[in-house]
Amino acid sequence: MPVFPFRPSLQAAITTPAKPRRRLKRLGATAAAAAVVLALTACGGGGSPQSAGGTVELRFSWWGSDKRAQVTQAAIDAFEAQNPGIKIKAEYGDWSGYWDKLATQVAANDAPDIIQMDEKYITEYSSRGALLDLSKYDVDTSKFDEAALNAGKGEDGLTGIAAGINAATILANPEVFKAAGVELPDDTKWTWEDFERIAAEVTAKSPKGTYGAAAYGTDEASLGVWLRQNGKSLYTSDGKLGFEPSDIADWWAFLKQMSEKKAVPSAAEVVEAEAAPLDQSGLATGKNGLAFWWSNQLPALEKAAGGELKVLRFPSKTGSASDAQLWYKASQFWSASSRTKHPEEVAKFINFLANDVKAGEALLADRGVYPNSEVREAIAPKLTPADVKVVEFIDQIKGELGEAPAPPPKGAGAIQEIVKRYTSEVLFERLSTDEAGKKAVDEMAAAISG
Amino acid sequence: MSAISELSSLTRRKGPITAAERKANGRDNKAAYIFLLPWLLGLLAITIGPMLMSLYLSFTDYNLLQPPEWTGLDNFTRMLSDSRLHNSLGVTFTYVLVGVPLQLAVALLIALVLDKGLRGLPFYRSVFYLPSLLGGSVAVAILWKQIFGTTGLVNQALAIFGIEGPGWISDPSTALGSIILLHVWTFGAPMIIFLAGLRQIPNMYYEAAEVDGARTLQKFWRITMPMLSPIIFFNLVLQIIGSFQSFTQAFIVSGGNGGPSDSTMFFTLYLYQKGFGQFDMGYASAMAWFLLIIIGAFTAINFIAAKYWVFYDD
Repeated sequence: MPVFPFRPSLQAAITTPAKPRRRLKRLGATAAAAAVVLALTACGGGGSPQSAGGTVELRFSWWGSDKRAQVTQAAIDAFEAQNPGIKIKAEYGDWSGYWDKLATQVAANDAPDIIQMDEKYITEYSSRGALLDLSKYDVDTSKFDEAALNAGKGEDGLTGIAAGINAATILANPEVFKAAGVELPDDTKWTWEDFERIAAEVTAKSPKGTYGAAAYGTDEASLGVWLRQNGKSLYTSDGKLGFEPSDIADWWAFLKQMSEKKAVPSAAEVVEAEAAPLDQSGLATGKNGLAFWWSNQLPALEKAAGGELKVLRFPSKTGSASDAQLWYKASQFWSASSRTKHPEEVAKFINFLANDVKAGEALLADRGVYPNSEVREAIAPKLTPADVKVVEFIDQIKGELGEAPAPPPKGAGAIQEIVKRYTSEVLFERLSTDEAGKKAVDEMAAAISG
Repeated sequence: MSAISELSSLTRRKGPITAAERKANGRDNKAAYIFLLPWLLGLLAITIGPMLMSLYLSFTDYNLLQPPEWTGLDNFTRMLSDSRLHNSLGVTFTYVLVGVPLQLAVALLIALVLDKGLRGLPFYRSVFYLPSLLGGSVAVAILWKQIFGTTGLVNQALAIFGIEGPGWISDPSTALGSIILLHVWTFGAPMIIFLAGLRQIPNMYYEAAEVDGARTLQKFWRITMPMLSPIIFFNLVLQIIGSFQSFTQAFIVSGGNGGPSDSTMFFTLYLYQKGFGQFDMGYASAMAWFLLIIIGAFTAINFIAAKYWVFYDD
C-alpha cells in the first residue's frame, strides 16, 4: 500500500516545472538559515555578565512610546556618567508584547535586572517570589508621597517604587467641540447624563464618522471609577471582586444607551479603536471629542493630535467634583528581579531614578507626576506646557480624591481582556447586559482566585 | 535517475552481506550520521526536547514563575468544562472545514485554467503563488486589517454603489469569514502542486475519451479527478494539518485577543493566551497535546478514507 502519494513518478512530476520549484528550494534554504540564526540569537541571552573591566552590566526593561525610550535613555546616560562602574542595557517594547516577553524571561531564569512593573501584575510576580524586596536595600523613600509609596508595598515587602503619579481623566479635543459649535463641559459640575447629552450633541453636529465621545469598556479603569461612585470597588482589600453582576450590568446598560443615542461610536468602530495605538486613537485623529485616558498620556496625545487637549475630571452621579471618586494611581513601578546577581547596583540605579534631580530632568512627567516632592519642585521650571497641565490637574484634584483603592490581586492581569470581550458582546447585542454581567463576574472571580 | 529509484535498486540486491561489505557500510553510515548531525541535534534540542518537556508540563500546574507541580489529569478534566476552549474548537473546526476545501477548490480551478496553456504561464504561476509566500506573514495580516476595516478599501468600494458595509473584521458575524478568505487567498502552494499533477496525466486518455464523444465535464470527472486524486489527497492532508495550527492571521487581525467576542479565537490563540497571558503554562501544554491528538485523528481518518477515493494507476 502506498504510504504517501509521493511516489517516484509523482516526485518527478512535481519537479518537472523546474523553475518555480528551484526558486522555492532556494527560498526554503534561506528561510531555514534565517531560522537557525534566529534560534541562535534567541539563545544568546543570559544573565548579567560581569565584564573583564570590573564593570557591572544591568539589564533594564520597560514598555512605552518612542518618546519614553528617548527620555529614559537620557536618564541612563546621566546615571552612567555618575557611576562609571555600572552599565545599563535598555530593552523596551510595547505594552502587549512586554508581558509575554517578561513572563518567558522570568520562566527561563533570564529576567532583566530592573523591570518596569504595572499594578495589574505586581502581585502576580511578587507573590511568586520573582521580585526583590527593595526595603532591604539602599533606596531612599523619605521624600515620597505616602500613597504612592504604599502602592508598591505588599506581603512580600517593597517590591515596587512608584515611578509617577497618575489619575484617570477624560481628555477633550477642543477642535472637535469648536467645529460642532458645542461648549466644552464644566468638569466640576457635570454628571453622567451631561456627558451623554453633550457627546450626543457633538455627534449630531459633526460630520459623519465623528463622535462626541469614545466608548468606555475597553479596560477596567473607567469601570473602577463608576463602581467607586456607586459605593463599590473593583477589588476588596482581601483580594476579591468588590462588585456584583448587577453593578457591571448597569455600567454596560448606560454604555448601550449612549451607543443607541450615537454619543459613542458604533460597535464595530469601538472594536477597531481598541486595537489602534495611541497616536491613531480617535481623540488624536479628531474623531472623538472626549475620551478616557490616564493623565500622563496627555503630552503624547497632544503631540499626536498636533494641538492642545483639555484635561477633565470624570463626571459624577451628583454633579459635584468631590463625588467623582478619583484617586492617585502609581503609573508604573520600578521593580527588580529577585534573581539579580547585583542587587546593590540595581538598588543604586532605582534610587537614582526615584530621587535624583538629574533623572527627573530627563524623565520629566513622562511616567506621571514625580512622587518625590523635592524632585518635583526642582524640575518644575523644565516642564513642557503639556507636562505643566498634567501636574496642575493632579494638584487640583488633591482635595477631591476618594479613598485609595485596594491593590489589584494576583490574576488581575486577565481582567482587562474579560471587560473588553463582554463589552463587545453587549454592544453587538449578542448578550443582554444582565447575562454579560453574570458571565463576566464568574470569569473574573475565577481569574483572580487561581 | 532519481534518488528514489536509485534507492530501490540498492535495496533490491540479493545474497548475504559479507564482513567487508558490512564494514564499508558502517563507514558509509558514519559519514551519513556526521552529515545528519546538525539536523539531528536540532531535532533533539529544538523539537523532541521541548515536546517531552511540554508532555510533562501538561500533567502539572505550572505558572512560569515557580516550579511545576504535578496535578495528574487535572488540566485535561478542566478542558471538559472550559466553555471558551469549546468555542475555540468551534472556531478552529469552522476554519479548517470551510477554509481548506474552499482553498483547494480555488487552487484546482486556477490550476485547470493555467493548464490550458496560457501565454506567459510562468508569470501567472508566480503571481498566483505569491500570496502563499506572503499570506501567513504579519505584514499581509496587517494589510488585511486595513482592507477590511470599517473605512477600509472594501467598504469604500461598496460605498460607490451606495452600500454601507459592516466592519468586516470588527463584527463578530463576519470576522472569521474574513480570515477564512485570507486563507483561501493563499491558494498558490496547492495550485503549483495541482499544476504539476495535471501535467502528468497522459494526453492519450483525453484523446480516447474525445473519440468516444465525451464532453468536457465528463472528461473532468472521469479522467482528471481520478488521475489527480493522489495529489488532491496530498494537498488535503498538508492543508488540514497546517490549518489546525494556524495562528498568525488571527493573532494579528484580532490584535492578539481573538476578538471581537472570541469570534476569531483559534485554538492556538487561546493556547497562547492561557500560557503567556494568564501564566497557565501547564494547561496550555495540555491543550497543545490535545491539538496534536486532534490533528493525528484527522490525518488517520484521511488516510483511511483515502482507500475509497484515491486512485493510484499502477
